[in-house]
Amino acid sequence: MKIVAAKKLLKANDQLAAENRGRLSAAGVLCVNIVGSPGAGKTTLLEGLFSVLGGQARPAVIEGDIAGAIDAERMERLGVPVVQINTDGACHLDASMVAAALADLDLQGIDLLFIENVGNLVCTAGFDLGEQVRIVVLSTVEGDDKAVKYPAIFQGSDAMIITKCDLLGHTNFDPARITADYLRLAPEGRVFQVSALVGEGTPAVAEWLLGAH
Amino acid sequence: MHELSIVEALIEQVDRELHRAGQTGRVVELNLAVGRLSGVHSGSLRFAFELLSPGSVVEGAQMNIAEPKAACRCRDCGHTEPIDELVAQCPKCGSDHVVIEGGRELTLDSIELEPDGP
Repeated sequence: MKIVAAKKLLKANDQLAAENRGRLSAAGVLCVNIVGSPGAGKTTLLEGLFSVLGGQARPAVIEGDIAGAIDAERMERLGVPVVQINTDGACHLDASMVAAALADLDLQGIDLLFIENVGNLVCTAGFDLGEQVRIVVLSTVEGDDKAVKYPAIFQGSDAMIITKCDLLGHTNFDPARITADYLRLAPEGRVFQVSALVGEGTPAVAEWLLGAH
Repeated sequence: MHELSIVEALIEQVDRELHRAGQTGRVVELNLAVGRLSGVHSGSLRFAFELLSPGSVVEGAQMNIAEPKAACRCRDCGHTEPIDELVAQCPKCGSDHVVIEGGRELTLDSIELEPDGP
């Protein structure tokens, strides 16, 4: 006997993600899932964005890490509300972890909620967290071939932020090549070039996010 | 190794489907689709299945995995073609206005149960 199921394998996660999205939208929060390799500059990008945002929006952060609270401490130093999720070895966040973290945040007091996913270009791709915007962060030192090598994470994302652009002259990274590859996978995607440490490019990202809110 | 989480979700999904269909028979086959761009590795999925299936409803079942390809769609000439690897130009007209679509499937398509006894 055959049972035809035709169900998404991650349906349970997708349903929880839809609930998260509903809760966030109802509270007027724009939720941004930030994915990228370890060391791509996700936390530094957030620090740069917060200094640009100033009083224009009230941010909060959910930090996803396999272990430790180093990133959460960096956010706390900036006075940004933060909830740390430790996945205890898991290579990605899922919607249930985010649902639990949302319970620890005052959504009414937040405009922009950033979820800094576990540093990983593979496993984070399949798990919808309930975000409205997904940003892939890629640094110039990682190489311009990553969209071709890790298409799943780039496909259908809302933006690619190329970080560490102040190092462009010291690498063979070609922004035109990665941008062309990226736009084949995400035709509607935005591309930003940023040097968060020196404050270049972050105002454009902040402006885009404020416009999306 | 997100394949472990995916197999956990698979086993829960099979459990729900059997429940819904009111079936208690032994599961002999599972048919899945894992798109080539899904970021899920079939080999790792099989390994995770070996680890997690014993003692569950899918113990001893055979897992068949179809791997649908992504397609390249040309925004100039409209040609669409399944592709083995990411391409930068339309295979038909050579335009570089192409979009890579699909290949992200991650589904449980069907469950085969042991036939009823005589």
